[in-house]
Amino acid sequence: MSSQTAEEFLTEIQKKAEKGELLYIGKELKRLDDLEKVLGSPIYTNDLIPRNTLYARLVLSKYPHALIKGMSVTKALNYPGVRYVLTYKDIPGLNESSTIIPDRPLFAFNKVRSTGDIVAAVIAEKPNRAQEAAQLVEVEYEPLKAVFDPVEAMKDDAPKIHEDGNIIKHVKVRKGDVEKGFEEADYIIENTFRTQHQDAAPLETETAFALLRGDKMLIIGSMQTPHHVQAAVAKVLGWPLDKIEVIQAVTGGAFGPKSDEPPYDVASIAALGTIKTGKPVLMSMTREESMTAHTKRHPAIITHKTGVKANGKLTASKVQIVLDGGAYASLGVLVIVRATFHANGPYEIPNVWNDGYKVYTNNTYTGSFRGFGAPQAIFAAESQMDEIAKKLNMDPLDLRLINMLRPGSRTSTGQLMDESCGLPECLDAVIKASDYRNKKKLYAKQEGKVRKGIGIAMLHHGNALGPEGNDYAYVHLSVEKNGKVHLGTGLTEFGTGAISGLAQIAASVLGVPVDYFTIDRPDTLVHHETGPTVASRVIAIGGNAARDAALKLKQKLLPVASKMLNCKVDDVQIVEGYAFCKGKENKSFSWEEIIKEAYEANIELHTIGYYMAPSCKWDEETGLGSPYNQYTFGAAVAEVEVDTETGVYRVLNYYVAFDVGKAINPKSVKGQIYGGTVQGLGYAIMEELVHKDGYVVNPNLKDYYIPTSLDIPENIQAFIIEKPGSMGPYGAKIVAEPPVVLPGPVIRNAVMDATGRGVNSLPITSEKVYRAIKG
Amino acid sequence: MAQMLVKINVNGVEREVLVDPDDRLLDVLREDFGFKSVKEACGTGDCGLCTVLMDGKPVLSCLIPAFQAKNHKILTLEGLNNDPLMKKIQDQFREHQAAQCGFCTPAMEIMGWHLLNRKKEPSKQEIKEAISGTLCRCTGYYDIVDAIYDAGREQ
Amino acid sequence: MEQPLLNRSEMIILQPSSLKESLKVLNENPDAEIMANASDLWPRIRNGEVRPKKILDISGLTNELSYVKKDGNVIKIGALVTVSQLEGESFVKEKRFSAFVDLISKFGSLQIRNVATVGGNVCAASSSEDFIPLFLALNAKVKLSSVDGERYMSVEKFLAGKRKLNRRPNEILTEISFEDPGPGYGSAFEKVGRRNMLIINLVNLAVVGKIAKGKIEDIRIAANRVKGKIPERAKTTEEFLKGKELNEETLNGAKKVFGEELILTDDMRASATYRKALLITILERLIKKIGGVQ
Repeated sequence: MSSQTAEEFLTEIQKKAEKGELLYIGKELKRLDDLEKVLGSPIYTNDLIPRNTLYARLVLSKYPHALIKGMSVTKALNYPGVRYVLTYKDIPGLNESSTIIPDRPLFAFNKVRSTGDIVAAVIAEKPNRAQEAAQLVEVEYEPLKAVFDPVEAMKDDAPKIHEDGNIIKHVKVRKGDVEKGFEEADYIIENTFRTQHQDAAPLETETAFALLRGDKMLIIGSMQTPHHVQAAVAKVLGWPLDKIEVIQAVTGGAFGPKSDEPPYDVASIAALGTIKTGKPVLMSMTREESMTAHTKRHPAIITHKTGVKANGKLTASKVQIVLDGGAYASLGVLVIVRATFHANGPYEIPNVWNDGYKVYTNNTYTGSFRGFGAPQAIFAAESQMDEIAKKLNMDPLDLRLINMLRPGSRTSTGQLMDESCGLPECLDAVIKASDYRNKKKLYAKQEGKVRKGIGIAMLHHGNALGPEGNDYAYVHLSVEKNGKVHLGTGLTEFGTGAISGLAQIAASVLGVPVDYFTIDRPDTLVHHETGPTVASRVIAIGGNAARDAALKLKQKLLPVASKMLNCKVDDVQIVEGYAFCKGKENKSFSWEEIIKEAYEANIELHTIGYYMAPSCKWDEETGLGSPYNQYTFGAAVAEVEVDTETGVYRVLNYYVAFDVGKAINPKSVKGQIYGGTVQGLGYAIMEELVHKDGYVVNPNLKDYYIPTSLDIPENIQAFIIEKPGSMGPYGAKIVAEPPVVLPGPVIRNAVMDATGRGVNSLPITSEKVYRAIKG
Repeated sequence: MAQMLVKINVNGVEREVLVDPDDRLLDVLREDFGFKSVKEACGTGDCGLCTVLMDGKPVLSCLIPAFQAKNHKILTLEGLNNDPLMKKIQDQFREHQAAQCGFCTPAMEIMGWHLLNRKKEPSKQEIKEAISGTLCRCTGYYDIVDAIYDAGREQ
Repeated sequence: MEQPLLNRSEMIILQPSSLKESLKVLNENPDAEIMANASDLWPRIRNGEVRPKKILDISGLTNELSYVKKDGNVIKIGALVTVSQLEGESFVKEKRFSAFVDLISKFGSLQIRNVATVGGNVCAASSSEDFIPLFLALNAKVKLSSVDGERYMSVEKFLAGKRKLNRRPNEILTEISFEDPGPGYGSAFEKVGRRNMLIINLVNLAVVGKIAKGKIEDIRIAANRVKGKIPERAKTTEEFLKGKELNEETLNGAKKVFGEELILTDDMRASATYRKALLITILERLIKKIGGVQ
């Protein structure tokens, strides 16, 4: 910089000024929250507890379905070091810990419906003693007939888990005339696909810490939705909202379950424990507690019936999805909506008939998890495409090229795709990068025991909440006297970097470097209720609110700068922390000087930005309409090598492209693509939380396998396509979730290319591949 | 038996701490010494997040009974924060956005530091092998591998 | 029968400073659980699976039990030798011991290898312990020490069943030893899991043998499950193979015999059918590897 002449500096500033609001957009800037992370010093919930804290441990149900006939906590209470044992009797407010449908008590009282049900919580001076004493809580059960298969559970004579029957939600799509579509078809292909329980396994388990401050309860915890946790605790305690303050601590991974009901449980238990003992209480789930008692990805049974012409044109698609909801509804009632709307894949099909069911069983409950129904739906849809291609003896790529969504096509719900449909570009990018056509030919000629294969999968992903709720956000900005900008919001950071992205947007609007920003911890007493941090919506929705807050702040600062510079407000520009007048760049004031001046002029430098997405319109009965404001698109090609004698295989190369509209921070976008891909690879290859008769067999990281660094594809290439959407700031679309969706189908299809046999259930273990080969 | 006194040297400071027979080195490091960079994510030796260096070797502090830590020298990330190589690793972690949720970051950096001390310019495969006992659920490992790789070449 | 609840804060930790003293303490406290570096035992105590009132901590005896030495033709490994330590030993680098390299590279993780001891691996006596099949195939012996003296026993005999040892209550396993089979021999080890690191094996298999000029002169095969729930030798298959020419016919015959010898069960990780298929394929590959054919 020192070598730069004044003239060069001016030219550069002018160039930057021309970029205006886009100055820090599309830049690979560092995150604002990671300095403390690399130093090992961020404050996660467990890191801040004072010395006199008590520890809570859960007592979970011993049966998947039983009546509770009696309960005694005396022995546990008398155990050395135990201070209290919480049960349903200790709840002053409502014994309910649910999101949408009020079907789940915090503590089971008359009945247990799964082995994840919480019966009691032991509060002790040390976690070790709490764990031992938890075994002494005596519960008398009368086992009931249970049902674990969701298809069985749908039958009239199945054991009833709740009073109103086992079908929690039925979602429909009815487009065209599906029977006529089948009549027009030359071939009809029918298949059933199955998926497993996947555990999100955020490396920090569900954790909350509660402390009484006067007559107010302070809760600090690991979560995605502090305002929802606040409301949940208020309900259980029977307290008004304003007496409960919830702060989101630095959160060690979330992936969905931390937006669902488990954070309610830990917060309410910590709060109840604090009330009963007068001491701060930490409720931090052990891995085993977490994997048993928190929500998982729904297992699905998906049947496809597809009509296709000999030329490859799809004529009709009929899909039934049955999600195993486990014992409670959770956010799963929305998961089935997304699954059903995406069930036919990213294709234009004139006649569609989809039925999606979320069903109660006596397995542990399932709910929100990155992808939110899309991983199951797209696994089935994209596997079905390769089965169709096989039937037609057609290259799966050609089948996709014939039917895929492009500008001008309509989705299964009849939504028109505009110019923002970047699916063709995504597909093109991965086909070229992988040299798909040549490899396909080459691999077809292989002989021998070890064979390579290449596969494709694609997706569309409705952005943000759409039919899942009101899509709004608030972002607060305030400027300290020294120029430091505070960005605060009820939206939360748990690893994606999206909140840093909000700062990048606000910084661009204000014209001040991102280094000036600091991100405040989300706090229900300070920040407006802003909807949940789910559906990857921080940038697409929150980004607009950040932009709004920054524009409002700028409106306050421009007159100040105009006075200082002695020129018209319209001519004032702020670029990289310097204000000057257009055409008179040699005179400038620094950001700090303007802020100081604003303070002296008594101008309040605090703004609240707001954004509400346009409402989405679709028909409840037919599903027809536009359930989402915009879509993200993606495509992947994977290459595998299969040992056909053992079924053992590995993923050699993975090419993936996403149309993200506009990458606010391309490095962060790629981070989401890599991370989501590997989580999806775990889902595809190895992860399976096994339930046997309602009991979780492997609730630990020894027997539940998540990918290690030696399990990832040696070569991954991620491409960012930018076809701006109508809703997000600068055309940005969502990105955090879709990458997790593609590995399942693309790996499945690559293995099928190598072996000639498709595996129709996840995970695609070496044993399943072996069995498929042996036929 | 009640509590026992155990003399442990952590980050160059030797202290006697009172422990229960079922306390782990992990508990002592976090609660008695206050070194919170040491994380617990499984408690069963399956995730690697509680990794510390014991007499220079990476070990899992959740698998080590507190009473076995006596007479050993323990290093946590806090004890390495002023080390020039560790600073390079941390800079590269920021450059590559290799810390997403940050929970595995201390353990990953320790494994990287341990590797780069033995081998100045390891291959990516060697880095993957070195961190293969430490789980990350956010990054898919690529940015972590690149960060350690670049830190090695920057030395 | 589940053991009664134990308040672990009342556990008595015995930490003698020498082997001699340890043997004395154990003689006086035969109910004590022996603990080396605890990577297997500690989580099982923490979760209540094992509930010892007393623990005899021998992890401090590294001066006495951390040796690897060759005594004549016998390789002797002190019970406290860690997997990492073994990795650096020169004998491991010799071709006939390449099974050790195969095994160690996929053993746990670096952090686990730094503490897991060879003695502890054998004493854990479960199907997931990779050293057991290799030691079985090497005809290894354990040395059991007590105040009464020392005695040697084959690893095969020492393992009485899953988590069961033929050990007198006052004995400590202090050494594992095996004869160097000598040049001309080869060894190989393989395991298959659902991922590439931190693996609980679906199957593992160790083979030690001498295959010269296309003839199988000697062969010893052990796998994590053959008939029971712990690693065992596949002796019928060994007998079938011994003295035969290494060719397709022999291998096909061996695969059949081996398949009949295996009595496996399903579990969450894999079915018996698949385990059998894996073991048979791996057996063929390891024999070929030792025989130097592809």
